[in-house]
Amino acid sequence: MSWTRRSFAAAMVVSSLALATVFAAPASAQAPKTLTIAQGFDPQTLWPNGTTASDNLNAGNAIVEALLWANPADGKIEPMLAEKWERTGPTTMKLSLRPNVSFTNGEAMNADAVVQSFAVFLDPRQTPAYANYAAAIDKVEKVDNLTVLVHTKFPYPAFELMLTQVYITPPAYWNSVGLQGFGQKPIGTGPFRLTEWVKDSRVVMERNTAYWGKGPVGFNRVIWRPVPDDTARVAGLTTGEYDIATNVPISNIQDINRQRDRRVIETPSYRIFQLILSSLEEHPSALHDKRVRQAVNHAIDKKAIIDNLFEGKAFALNGQLLRQSQLGYDPSLKDYAFDLAKARALLTEAGHPNGIELTFKFPTGRYAQDREVSEAIAGMLAKAGIRTRMVSLEPGEFLRQLRNRELQPMAYIGLAPLDDPDFQLAQYRSSWRYAYIRNAELDGLIDAGAREIDVAKRREIYQKAGRLMHDLAPVAFLFGGYDFYGVNRKLEGFVPRGDQRFFLHNVTLKP
Amino acid sequence: MASYILRRLLLTLPVLAGIVLITFLLARLSGDPTDLLLPPNATDEAREAFRSVNGLDRPLWEQFVTFAIKAVTGDFGTSLRFEQPAMQLVLDRLPATAELAAATMVIALSIGIPAGVIAATQRGHMADGLIRAIMLLGQAVPSFFLGVLGIIVFATWLRWLPTGGRGDWSQLVLPATTLAFNLVALIARVTRSCMLDVLKQDYVRTARAKGVWESRVIWLHALRNAFIPVLTVIGLQVGLLLGGVVVTETIFSWPGVGRLAIQAIYARDFPVVQAVVFVFAVIFVLVNLVVDLLYALLDPRIGYR
Repeated sequence: MSWTRRSFAAAMVVSSLALATVFAAPASAQAPKTLTIAQGFDPQTLWPNGTTASDNLNAGNAIVEALLWANPADGKIEPMLAEKWERTGPTTMKLSLRPNVSFTNGEAMNADAVVQSFAVFLDPRQTPAYANYAAAIDKVEKVDNLTVLVHTKFPYPAFELMLTQVYITPPAYWNSVGLQGFGQKPIGTGPFRLTEWVKDSRVVMERNTAYWGKGPVGFNRVIWRPVPDDTARVAGLTTGEYDIATNVPISNIQDINRQRDRRVIETPSYRIFQLILSSLEEHPSALHDKRVRQAVNHAIDKKAIIDNLFEGKAFALNGQLLRQSQLGYDPSLKDYAFDLAKARALLTEAGHPNGIELTFKFPTGRYAQDREVSEAIAGMLAKAGIRTRMVSLEPGEFLRQLRNRELQPMAYIGLAPLDDPDFQLAQYRSSWRYAYIRNAELDGLIDAGAREIDVAKRREIYQKAGRLMHDLAPVAFLFGGYDFYGVNRKLEGFVPRGDQRFFLHNVTLKP
Repeated sequence: MASYILRRLLLTLPVLAGIVLITFLLARLSGDPTDLLLPPNATDEAREAFRSVNGLDRPLWEQFVTFAIKAVTGDFGTSLRFEQPAMQLVLDRLPATAELAAATMVIALSIGIPAGVIAATQRGHMADGLIRAIMLLGQAVPSFFLGVLGIIVFATWLRWLPTGGRGDWSQLVLPATTLAFNLVALIARVTRSCMLDVLKQDYVRTARAKGVWESRVIWLHALRNAFIPVLTVIGLQVGLLLGGVVVTETIFSWPGVGRLAIQAIYARDFPVVQAVVFVFAVIFVLVNLVVDLLYALLDPRIGYR
C-alpha cells in the first residue's frame, strides 16, 4: 500500500477543511426575557429530595415545590403548597392544602399527592440525605382531599422547618417513571417547567403559565449554566452572559461592584467555623483539661483572620455557636478575648508551663481559604506555646474522619446545619455521630430543647446550653462566613439564604 | 493486513482487562463514597441503605466479579451521583470531547507542521529563532494558566469571545486554542528536527539536481519522509490531549468527558471513573493502532503481515 504525493497533499487540505467544519456548528440565539444563572455544577437530579446539594435544590425547586417555605428575607416560615398549618396536639400538625393547584401534567395537587410524597420522604432508601429530618415523623394520614394530618413521634419544635423540606410530586407520574426518571424529567407545581437539559451544559426552563402564584416578573425563561471555574463564572457575569453567578471569590467583589450593571450580594452563611477540641476519653491529649481548651480560645486573634484573610467579610461568633438571628442566641455572651498572656497562664495553671504539642487536622479545598486560615491559627497558637503538627486532608478523607470521630484532638471545620437551634446544637450531643464532647448536663439541655414547643422556654434552654458550652469550650469559637452572589443590578427581590439556597418565585428582572 | 489488524485488536484485550482491574482497585483505595455523597449528619440507617443499594457493603472480590461480568456486556454499573448508567453518561459527553479534540488537532497540525518546516528550512535565521522561542513558551506555559489568561483577555477585556460553554462555534475557539498551544510547540519541534535530518539526505539533493521546485522538494519530498516520527508523536500525544481536556473543559465549562471525570473522581463515583478510564484507554489504543497503519501508507517500504 502506498500514498502518492498528491494524496498526501490532499490529506493536508482535508485536515484544514475539517477545521472549518468543526467551527461551523450552528449558532444558538438566546431568546429575550431570559434569566441566566451560573452555578458551580450541573444538577445531578432535579428532584429536590434527591440530594441536599444547593446547586441541585435551587434548580429543582423552580419546578417542584415544598409544603412550606422559609423566607430568607426575614427567616419566617410562609405557606407554599400548604396554605395553612396548625398544631392540633403536641405531636400533630394539621395541613390545609392550597386548593385548585395542578401539576404541569394535569394531575391534581391534593392529599393523595402529599401522602405519597411523605411516603417517599420517610424511606431512607429513596431519600437517604433527608433521613435525619424524617426520623421525627410517625405517620401521615389523609383527612379529606385537601387536609392532611402529620404525626411526630414526640413533640417536635422544628416541625415547620421539616415541612419546608418535603417536596410534593404527582403520584401517577412518579409511579410511572420512578425516582431516577423523575430526577431527570421532573413535573411539579412550580413557576417553571423543564424544557431542555443538555448535561453539563445547560438546563432550560420555561414559565409554567398555569402557576398558582404570582411568580417571577420580567422573564419567562431561566437557563442554569454549570460553570465550575471561579474566574470563568465571574468573567461571564461581568460580560453580561449571566444575570446571577454564585460563589464569587472575595477578591473579585470590588471589581464587580464598580461595574455599572453588576453588583455583589453578601449573605451571612449558616456555616459556622470552629476548631474541634476533642475531650473524649479515647482521644488522649492535653485538651481534656478545660483550661487548655480555653487557652486555645484566648490564643487565636479572630479579628486578624477576618480582616486579613476575608477582607472583613466574616462575622465574629461572640463565644457561641448560634447566630444572632437564631432562637437561643445569648447577647450577654462575649467572645474569648485575644490574650496571649492569659492563654499562657491557663496552660501553666493546667500543668503545662512549657507549652503543649497537638496534632492539628484541616481540609484543603473544602472551604474558602481553609489552608490559609489553618496556617494562620497554627502560627497564633505557637506564640502561646501550643505547638501544632499540621495534617492536611483531602476533602473526602476529611469527611470520612469527621464521621468516624478521627478529627482529633484538634481540627478546623465549618458546619452548616439547618436553621433550627436543635440541628446546630445536636451536633454536640454525646450520642451524635461526630460529637467530640461527652457532657451529661449539655446532653440534657439539648434533649430538653429538642422537645420544648414553648418558644420562651426553648430560648431559655438554649441560652443556658450556650453559656455552658462557652465555659466548657468544646470548640474554639472562630467566625461565621459569608456567601457572595454576583447579580445583574436590574434584578430585584433576589434574596439568597444562608444555606446557599435561593428562590425565583418572587424575583423581578427590570427591563 | 486484515489478519495483522485482527491480531493487534486481540492483543488489546488483555491490556484493557488489566486497565479495568487496576482502575477498579485504585478507585476503591481512595475510600468510601458514602462519606462524600451523603451529608455528614445522615443517619446510620440511611448510610447502610445507600451502601446496600450500591453494593458497597459486599466484599471487594464479589464487587469486582459482579462488575467484571457486567462490564463485558458494556454495563459499567450505575453512577452513584447521577443514578444513571455510567457508560451512558460517558458516551453522552463523548461528542463534545471529540469535537474539542478534533479542533485542537487541526489547529495543532495546521500551525505546528508549517512552523516546524519553516524553522528547519530557515535554520539559524531569525524565523527559526522566533519559532523556537515560541515553541519553548508553548511547552512551558500550563494550560490552566493559558485558559484563564485567554478568558481575561479575549472575553472580559476585548469581548470578542464568550467565556465558555458549548453550542456556538465561537465557544470552541478559546478551549481549542488553549489545548492546542502545547501541542503546536511539540509538533513544531519534532517536525523541525526530522526535517533537518531529511533535508541532508541524498534523495533531496537528487530532487534539487533534477530541477524540482524548492517548495515541492520541501513540502512533498522532504516533509512526507519526515512525517513518520511526527505521526508517532501525535499518536502518543493523544494521551496528553485526553489528560488536557480535563483541565480545559473545567475552565471553559465545556460539557465533555474530562469534566465528568474530574467530578467523578472528587465524588468517588467509581462506576463513572471506571467507564471514563476504559473509554480513554480504548481511544488511546485505537489511535495508536491507526498510527501504525498510517506508517504503511506513508512509507511503501513498511508492510504488515
